[in-house]
Amino acid sequence: MNSFAFTKWMLWLVLFFLIAPFSIVFITAFSDDNSLLFPPSSYSVRWLLSVMQTEIFVSSLITSLWLGFGATAIALVFGVPAAYALQRYPVPETEWIRTLLTSPLIIPGLVIGVALLKQFVLLGGNSVNLALLAGHAALVLPYAVRVVGASLANLPRDIEDAAFSLGASRAQVFWRVVLPNVRGGLAAATVLAFINSFNHVPVSLFLTGPGITTLPIRMLLHMESSYDPSIAALSMLVILFSMVFVFVTERVLGLSRYM
Amino acid sequence: MKTALTLEQLTLAYTKNLTTVENLNLTVPEGELLALLGPSGCGKTTTMRAVAGLLEPKSGRIALHDRDITRVPANKRDIGLVFQSYALFPHLTAFENVAFGLRLRGVQKAELEQRVNAALETVALLEFAKRFPAQLSGGQQQRVALARAFVIRPQLMLLDEPLSNLDARLRLEMRVEIRRLQKQLGVTMLYVTHDQAEALALSDRVAIMNAGQIEQLATPEVIYTQPRTVFAARFVGFDTILPVQPLERRVRIGKHEFPYSLESRFNRAAWRAEHVRLGTGVWAARVLARSFEGQQVQYQLESELGVIQAAVPSATAVWKEQDSVTFDLPLEQAVWLVE
Amino acid sequence: MTNNRPRAWLLLFPATVFLLAVFVYPVGVFLLSSFRLENGVGLDNYFTFFSSEVNIEVYWRTVRIALLVTLVSAVVSYPAALAIMQLGAQYRGLLIGLIILPLMISPVARSFAWLVVLGREGLINKTLVGTGVLKESIPILYTENAVFIGLLQLMLPLMLLSLTSALENLPRDVIAAARSLGANSLQVFTRVILPLTRDGLTIGGTLVFTGCVTAYVTPALLGGPRVTMLATLLYQKAGVTVDEAATTVISMVMLLTTLAVNAALKSRSRGAA
Ligand SMILES: Nc1ncnc2c1ncn2[C@@H]1O[C@H](COP(=O)(O)OP(=O)(O)OP(=O)(O)O)[C@@H](O)[C@H]1O
Ligand SMILES: [Mg+2]
Repeated sequence: MNSFAFTKWMLWLVLFFLIAPFSIVFITAFSDDNSLLFPPSSYSVRWLLSVMQTEIFVSSLITSLWLGFGATAIALVFGVPAAYALQRYPVPETEWIRTLLTSPLIIPGLVIGVALLKQFVLLGGNSVNLALLAGHAALVLPYAVRVVGASLANLPRDIEDAAFSLGASRAQVFWRVVLPNVRGGLAAATVLAFINSFNHVPVSLFLTGPGITTLPIRMLLHMESSYDPSIAALSMLVILFSMVFVFVTERVLGLSRYM
Repeated sequence: MKTALTLEQLTLAYTKNLTTVENLNLTVPEGELLALLGPSGCGKTTTMRAVAGLLEPKSGRIALHDRDITRVPANKRDIGLVFQSYALFPHLTAFENVAFGLRLRGVQKAELEQRVNAALETVALLEFAKRFPAQLSGGQQQRVALARAFVIRPQLMLLDEPLSNLDARLRLEMRVEIRRLQKQLGVTMLYVTHDQAEALALSDRVAIMNAGQIEQLATPEVIYTQPRTVFAARFVGFDTILPVQPLERRVRIGKHEFPYSLESRFNRAAWRAEHVRLGTGVWAARVLARSFEGQQVQYQLESELGVIQAAVPSATAVWKEQDSVTFDLPLEQAVWLVE
Repeated sequence: MTNNRPRAWLLLFPATVFLLAVFVYPVGVFLLSSFRLENGVGLDNYFTFFSSEVNIEVYWRTVRIALLVTLVSAVVSYPAALAIMQLGAQYRGLLIGLIILPLMISPVARSFAWLVVLGREGLINKTLVGTGVLKESIPILYTENAVFIGLLQLMLPLMLLSLTSALENLPRDVIAAARSLGANSLQVFTRVILPLTRDGLTIGGTLVFTGCVTAYVTPALLGGPRVTMLATLLYQKAGVTVDEAATTVISMVMLLTTLAVNAALKSRSRGAA
């Protein structure tokens, strides 16, 4: 069927367009040149080693990891009970709350960042760091609500009622029956929330400074000032990290089912 | 006999202005298996959920062994529930599903294992203890659900159409199984079904439910032979229900009058297909359809009284489609009703 | 029946309060301050902003690029999504994984790759000059084209995933049925597939358009100083020139633009249904 040949070619083209640029990052990461050339004139791992030993990269990586885990934890602690309530106890306000809880997705990150800066600066002290955490948590909360919600929607209500009538308290129903059965959704939400926070730039742009800087911001700053393969090396490491994260989740839990 | 379950003036609703069940009264003696029989949507599941504590009544009272449990939450009621969907815990093995209620009650390990294994043995599933629900057949899942409900030794068991997902043969087997189990455990059971054959075969008494009301509550024999309302009659297989007019020592049906003394309050008569006699009588009909059913032949007749269902022993069923035939509706076999 | 309200609110309360405090309130106050003037309230900040031709140009450029990316991603994604369906279930997980993968990768890294490809000394120019197609290298980086390419690569997966899931939900065998009734490929597409996947197209279009308007890293890195978009303009006004009025106006304009396009797409898909 010739229309199938056409659609198939289109798919390969799209996949090439989506994936191929990353091979350039990978090749450049092994460059031995002092400035960014493609293809590199010779190869080594010195840029990879160099970025791993550069204090500002390492410290901003640690910042990003903490930020990602902190934001994810907050998003889950607030988002999972909310997702449960939206699914199980529909009240007249449900649709409003659902819109509210997913609204950070439609507000430009830069706007969130500036707005938080304006408010938190008034508080003084370390409050900008808090604003950074709060902003990231708000940003990824929708993932927790939506993904866990989708997973809860697949859990028949009868199962909870069965546990309840066998003598379980509401808390026991939640811990012993609901949570184990939405594990996949929880894991997917965790991955999505963490990766999105870890890679996010706009919210952080105004909320990071000399004291505390996330890795993507550090990479942006570095790119503005120098034109060397260290960003390729860093990008490769970050990509590898993300790929392993996603691959493992897709393999173990079937992430795509929750997207 | 002691009363196990009492429902008094029970009114149930999902929304403010629409009541699903209204002023329902029912008492179930200890050790009885009572079938709640009614068409889809009549409120059987709703009633059961209220008894289990999963739906708070709008008004009325529920008592279990003289203890008012109307406001007692479901997890404090000690009622064993078997859902139509089984509602097994997908993340737990058959063993752990059955053990769930016992663990919550803090039963010690040795006793727990012994009781769970005994329960699984009762439903003949001991060798499937380590399987997850997804690895069990429909019938096996149904038996795990049953074991999970009775292993906690509940004061009352509620079964909501537990056999409706099974094939016809398994349904017959499980029917017997459930009855045997109920007798063996001596547990009071409320059994919800919309299958009249199942209700009649299984239960001590049958409650026929219609639009949130109990129309008749009686033993299977009485329900089968003496339905008290038109709805009940139709539901248990009285296919021919005709308007009648009681006169002085006579009864008028259609354009004929028959000598018969009938209380003047009755205005309907009902017959089963096998009550209708073919080849004799005052009514004329034409055979619309004939279907052979082994022991008997089922006829659909077009007559001046409308379409009539008749069943005749195969040996005497000589009429073919389009044949003209006369038939009789024996008054001594009619069930007299009020509509 | 059981009153669920208290229970629902107990569970909804923390998330709601948290978002009201760290999101709705700051963003609301910030956006509303676009109407605040030295004496009273009014639209003066908006008039000031839109009286600058540069700003209007930035606005149209943003909308133009976002619409173009949305359109192209839809045109490209339909055949690709159809191919994913045609290739059968055993490959679907892998293919969807490959499409999700770029979404999981830092936009900084993704834009960086394009720097290497599109630059004056980059892969494309080197290849074209080396093979004699071009006499000398042409500027691609720091043009609208570069921003378009970068955003397309960034957003395409969202459209592709939306359309794939819409196709997955298509009633079985409708395509075969249409074919058996004599429809050719184009007719199958316009009369069956397109109408039945309109919701997926709407969702994908909304995601892509919103993403393009709000993206910062890609225009900042690939557009350079000359190809300013709303997001990069916002950053300049807020971080470099500290023009508070302009910052709030741009934020509001970004938000209203995305909401307007979302609403338009939604009403179109509903009107057609
Ligand atoms: N959660 C609910 N919210 C609102 N109405 C409901 C709900 N559940 C059931 N109903 C309505 O209540 C009525 C009785 O439903 P119920 O489930 O008790 O019927 P049933 O007798 O069990 O029927 P079936 O044999 O089909 O299971 C129906 O009209 C149904 O539409
Ligand atoms: Mg029911």
